[in-house]
Amino acid sequence: MTDVRRAVDAVFKLEAARLVAGLTRLVRDVGLAEELAQDALVAAMEQWPGSGVPDNPGAWLMAVAKRRAVDHIRRAETLDRKRAELAREVREEDAAQDKDDVLRLMFLSCHPVLPTPARVALTLRLLGGLTAAEIARAFLVTEAVITRRIAEAKRALAEVPFDLPEPDAMAARLSSVLEAVYLIFNEGYSATSGDDLQRPALCQEALRLGRLLAELAPQESEVHGLVALMEIQASRTAARTGPDGEPVQLHEQNRGRWDRLLIHRGFTAMLRARQIGGPPGPYVLQAAIAVCHAQARSADDTDWPRIAALYAALVRVLPTAVVRLNQAVAVGMAHGPEAGLALTDAISLPDYHLLPAVRGDLLLRLGRETQARLEFERAANLTTNAAERAFLLRRADAIVPTPTTRTLGQACADFLAREDLGPSTIRSYAQTLRRLCRSLGDNKPLDATTATDIATVFNSTWDKAAPKTWNRHLSAVRTFAKWSSLDSLDGELERRPETSEPAKPAPLQGIWELPDVPLREQTLWRLLHESEAKVTTVLAINIEHLDLADRRARVRGTWVTWRSGTAALLPALVADRPSGPLFLSDRRPGPARTPSPDDLCPHTGRRRLSYERAEYLFKQATRALDPDGYTLRGLRTG
Amino acid sequence: MRYLMMSKDSGDSTPDEKLFADMAAFVEELSAAGVLLATGGLGPDGIRVSSKGDEITVTDGPFAEAKEAVAGFALVEVRSKEEAIELTRRFRKIVGDGESVIQQVFGP
Repeated sequence: MTDVRRAVDAVFKLEAARLVAGLTRLVRDVGLAEELAQDALVAAMEQWPGSGVPDNPGAWLMAVAKRRAVDHIRRAETLDRKRAELAREVREEDAAQDKDDVLRLMFLSCHPVLPTPARVALTLRLLGGLTAAEIARAFLVTEAVITRRIAEAKRALAEVPFDLPEPDAMAARLSSVLEAVYLIFNEGYSATSGDDLQRPALCQEALRLGRLLAELAPQESEVHGLVALMEIQASRTAARTGPDGEPVQLHEQNRGRWDRLLIHRGFTAMLRARQIGGPPGPYVLQAAIAVCHAQARSADDTDWPRIAALYAALVRVLPTAVVRLNQAVAVGMAHGPEAGLALTDAISLPDYHLLPAVRGDLLLRLGRETQARLEFERAANLTTNAAERAFLLRRADAIVPTPTTRTLGQACADFLAREDLGPSTIRSYAQTLRRLCRSLGDNKPLDATTATDIATVFNSTWDKAAPKTWNRHLSAVRTFAKWSSLDSLDGELERRPETSEPAKPAPLQGIWELPDVPLREQTLWRLLHESEAKVTTVLAINIEHLDLADRRARVRGTWVTWRSGTAALLPALVADRPSGPLFLSDRRPGPARTPSPDDLCPHTGRRRLSYERAEYLFKQATRALDPDGYTLRGLRTG
Repeated sequence: MRYLMMSKDSGDSTPDEKLFADMAAFVEELSAAGVLLATGGLGPDGIRVSSKGDEITVTDGPFAEAKEAVAGFALVEVRSKEEAIELTRRFRKIVGDGESVIQQVFGP
């Protein structure tokens, strides 16, 4: 397009609404009026480059179009009386603008007989003066689609009178107009497809249409509500996309980049709506919500309870799924994510990406990362807008699923509840793990438990324990570490060699000379020394195993033999007992501790002497020789 | 897109009632069309604030010949540069001799 053609085009767009409106009133056919206006545009394109733009281009275009109108009517094959009348009227009638003409044209191009896409296309065409190519580009469809849409619309409107709606139809007709305007705005504001998030030209057209409508129908509060809504939403245009075209959510926007001028215009429109009064309609309520956001100095200052209340009112007049979704967002902010999430559960919007996106947000705030991630991924799959999809995928990827923070106590309890371990193993493991929990705290997070923590407990608790005990605790920790995938928990601990050091040889002479040693101890100590058998084996000897003559006893599949020292003592110890354990404890067992029959003496009812008791008595007795005392095993090597 | 139109006062014609009426109609029309975002007249006595290094100097005006001073502005939202030019052309038709400068506004 040359500069001159561009200038003509700019003038035409400024005049289009009034031109087509005036012509429609004259020729009573919006289709014809639109063609006449196009004829006038063609004439302007031909003449203005030479003559310059006339002083009053609107009047010039109207004059040309009127001439064409008369020609057209005359050319019609049957010039009946009615047409002749019309031709005369057109010629004579003053085309002076009645501002209601433009309003009539708005109602006509948004007439309910038309499908919504046709209303939108026709409105942009007739009131905005946009070419079919421009409309097609804005909506990402082919020009042919728009041309056909407009042609069908014009045919459908041929029989519709060019009048303002009757008062009782006003509300419905007006809402049809507002819907078309807001649809144009939204197509520009949140482009549903394509790589640009916004197509500003459409927003601007919608704003112009809205502002125009506000001048033409100033008594309608919803018109001002729509204007306020669009002005305030448009005020965020610069702030709502990041440097790479990605969307920036409202609460993260730099409010310094909001256009105060548009916000101010929005507030003014809102005031006009309030002055008109009456019950607030959907646009006034949505604008009131937008006003709340615009008034907040920062995202944290947002009056969410008020916004949630406004949404509750909006849901009553506009109970759509999208509105309920926005209500869920507001409730989530005002009354917590749980409440918001509960509202989203009831919403059915199968292919709408913002539902999973909102749920993702709420779930994330509830700490349910895995679910949140799934929702963001679903949302990304549903949107056709490339920038938005990239944004949603980034949100999904940003979620690192942190394992739910398990405590050491919980993990130990779970571990001990395993069913694949035997009861004695469980008992043994439990001993170790309970000790760890007591020392480190049940509530210590499992993943904050380190090998150093474990080593500290081991060294302070079991350092002096027998290597076997130490190793038993260690293997419990190892199994637990492996089970809980914290393989390094035992990293600072090592098994201890279990082959015990040779026992300290007992000083035999001193032992034999110890005073006041009971017969049982004397016999046991001598037997241990002379037989060099294991302590447990010797203690297991029963009287019936004894072969006093040959100085030997057959016990646990092995022979225990002794020499003269033992032989001298044994008969007294056996006395007249025919059977039962050779070495008996001093006391009868308590009622709670029932030893196996094999360990009980059938004659005295006493039980077999235990290793622990025998060891203890020996240690006590030998303290006279050494402060630490000696062990029974020392008798074997002594 | 937005353009700021700054108009200088030619200073040699006193505005008459017709001009006021025409201007009022023009402003009303542009507002109705959703084009005019803001407009206003500017007082003749400006205050100049200049900075050099750390120093700020404040000087009271006026500074220029009356016809050189900007007397009014209009901020318009238009579809194209051509539309801004067309609107300015119409404005000049109303106010008579003088000069307007239009510049595109970026931001906020």
